[in-house]
Amino acid sequence: MKQITLTPKKFSSIALEFDELIPDEIYGWSKEDFERYEVPVGNTRFPLTDYYEIEVEGEAESPEEVKLTIDGDAGRVKYIGCKMGAGEIIVNGDADLQAGAEMTGGSLTINGNAESYAGREMKGGEITIKGNVREYAGTSYIGEWRGMSGGKITIYGNAGKQLADAMSGGEIHVHGNCDILAGIHMTKGFIQIDGDVTRWPGGQMKNGAIVVNGRLERLLEGFELDGIVNDPVVEGREFTGKYIKYIGDIGVNGKGSLLLNAEKNRHHL
Amino acid sequence: MEYILKNGIVYDPVNEINGEKKDVMFRDGKIVNSVSDSAKILDVTDKLVMPAGVDVHCHLAGPKLCVGRLYRPEDERKGVKPKTDITRAETGFSIPSCPATGYRFSRMGYGTVVEAAVPPLEAKHTHEEIIAIPNIDIPPLTLFGNNWFVMQFAKEGNIEDLAAFVSAWLKITKGYGVKIVNPCGSEAWGWGGNVHGIDDPAPYWDVTAREVIRALAQANEMLGLPHSIHVHPNDLGHPGNFPTTINTIDCMKDIKKNSEYRNQTIHLTHAQFHCYEGTSWRDVTSGAQPVADYINKNDHVTMDLGAVTLDETTTMTADGPMEYDLYELTGLKWANKDIELETASGLVPFIYSGRNPVHSLQWAIGLELALMVENPWQVALTTDSPNAGPFIRYPRVISWLMSNKRRMEMMDNKEVHGWAAKKSALATLDREYDFYDIATITRAAPSKIYGFEDRGNLSVGSLADIAVYDLEPNNFDPTVNAAAVENAFSNALYTIKDGEILVKDGEVVKVVSSNHVHTEVQGFEDQEKRILEQIMPMFNKYYTVKFENYIVHDHYAEPSTVYKVNASK
Repeated sequence: MKQITLTPKKFSSIALEFDELIPDEIYGWSKEDFERYEVPVGNTRFPLTDYYEIEVEGEAESPEEVKLTIDGDAGRVKYIGCKMGAGEIIVNGDADLQAGAEMTGGSLTINGNAESYAGREMKGGEITIKGNVREYAGTSYIGEWRGMSGGKITIYGNAGKQLADAMSGGEIHVHGNCDILAGIHMTKGFIQIDGDVTRWPGGQMKNGAIVVNGRLERLLEGFELDGIVNDPVVEGREFTGKYIKYIGDIGVNGKGSLLLNAEKNRHHL
Repeated sequence: MEYILKNGIVYDPVNEINGEKKDVMFRDGKIVNSVSDSAKILDVTDKLVMPAGVDVHCHLAGPKLCVGRLYRPEDERKGVKPKTDITRAETGFSIPSCPATGYRFSRMGYGTVVEAAVPPLEAKHTHEEIIAIPNIDIPPLTLFGNNWFVMQFAKEGNIEDLAAFVSAWLKITKGYGVKIVNPCGSEAWGWGGNVHGIDDPAPYWDVTAREVIRALAQANEMLGLPHSIHVHPNDLGHPGNFPTTINTIDCMKDIKKNSEYRNQTIHLTHAQFHCYEGTSWRDVTSGAQPVADYINKNDHVTMDLGAVTLDETTTMTADGPMEYDLYELTGLKWANKDIELETASGLVPFIYSGRNPVHSLQWAIGLELALMVENPWQVALTTDSPNAGPFIRYPRVISWLMSNKRRMEMMDNKEVHGWAAKKSALATLDREYDFYDIATITRAAPSKIYGFEDRGNLSVGSLADIAVYDLEPNNFDPTVNAAAVENAFSNALYTIKDGEILVKDGEVVKVVSSNHVHTEVQGFEDQEKRILEQIMPMFNKYYTVKFENYIVHDHYAEPSTVYKVNASK
């Protein structure tokens, strides 16, 4: 097992980019390798040592044996864990844009908030965010119609707009509230939102399932009432209590399921 | 500056030089007979030397590209290459950024690339993009096939006025020649319709594709333009469309050519999309054989392939109704635009996959056409870039044409679906192109088709546009080395344009402005003036722009190469 700890010592208002510092790349690196490494900052590169104290303990034969800890705020560090396929990354603070984007395996834990595009086009692995995420978590790249296809994102705080745009697989669990258009263009996969939702979950969804345990303000007109269901099983997960089930979005001949906690969403009936 | 390219193995079909070891000399941008002792020697001993490539049909500059880049950022992120001291950053795969377009053609050894479809209203934009694309000469073809004035003249059979209109509009748009796209069909798209076959009239105008094509061809020959009409026939991409294709070229049979250099009176573009037999995508089979048979018996037609390269790409065309069909078929995002009195246009991303039966058949048809048409001078290599695949795949198409082994391997290994072998004759064709044939379909024939006497060849006095590839034809078997062929044609050892070395060892070492190549008809000025006066009321009534702002002024097209055409000849 190789433990790498980066402790911030200087803040850069121009974002650093960490997509090269993933277990898949660095499992063989020694402390000297890290000290030689120059990290992309804006349109140039500077030594990583300008910004971090670096500690390396132990050895790794493969990416799975790597645990990288950023021990502090990374609110101006983009692409943390981007494209990682194995191993573990822990951020003891906030993360900037694109954390865990295009991840295929391993785990990323952010103990603070994450900026937009966390888990973009994720294919596998697990992302845990203890705070809030901004817009487009678990979404597709801009313009792209093929979004997150696997893995799991757990958000303990609130999620921003257009969560999981064009999702085609995998799972997202938001413990807090969620802003507009969660699961827009979704074709498969599962989203659970425990808090309240502003409006329009599942816009143009073709398939997949969204469960809202909180109160939904506004439902899209493209969802047709399917009925009230008791203790539903959605994508193999059991829920207790009564849910109002809708099918949609009929605007695109969608067969997706949208389940709203019946008690909190009676106003839609 | 003088240079000698020394001891290369030269393929120059215009001069019937077939793999001879010889020197190529050039001075001040032109090929010469001899140079002084102070000439710089470029030792290319035993390497493959050809004139620089000439592409007859590519979509590379103009509003379609711009819309494509705007609405496909997911394509732009592919092919990202950082800037160097010489080049700007590159982005994009099927719709690369303007600089990337120039660099990539230059790296492949190309010198001239025709922009295949310019609506006159968008000509300014096209020339602005040409300014941003470096290193290649770009002749734009102006769209005429659905133009209201053209349809009116064609209906009246008024060829002289039509010729004057074409002549004036080529000057206004700084265009090189006459492009026709789904004649009458794109106009019908204004009513939400299309036309089928060449005798289905456009709504309101009550004129048929046959009449429009014939009238424009007669006008083209009356003016004696260097290129023939360049036709994207009706029914593109529809199963059972091959009779329309044959009817389109056959209706030109009696039209007399007025050009000494080219042979054809019609150029059939992206033929692959026009050679389908059957009634639906379920029973579709290849219609390449009857079209190839027709071309083999008739020399008034040339064609380019539109070969499918099995990539994720972006389709873009002035054939608006076809793009709508494609959108219905794929469900992917669709852009559509009405170009006022001129044409329609549309874009849809497309994923050609070797696992898909139809795409595999399309792949086979593109290659079938190249192998079935006997005379390589009637063939030009294209992918209708980016419609059937991006232009950076030309070297891959070359490698397929040169290797029967590779083609069979793809069919045997299931790199393509069984339909390729079952529904086309590709598996029975063992013809293989040699380097001379490749030089013909990528250099000599394209320049002949376009009436370029000054390029596509290494004749004394021609432009010193030369490509050298890192292959030794005498010690190399392209029939068994497809990957090496593709790699060599993708990364020229040298690309020389107007006597300047722009690429060395596959890297761009110099960036120059591209020339805007257009024609200028002389001797038709009075007719042009009269016709402009005649149509101006309709122009002012229906266009959203003023005529003064419609014209492409000279400073949009600099630097330029102007081919003056004497209409009275």
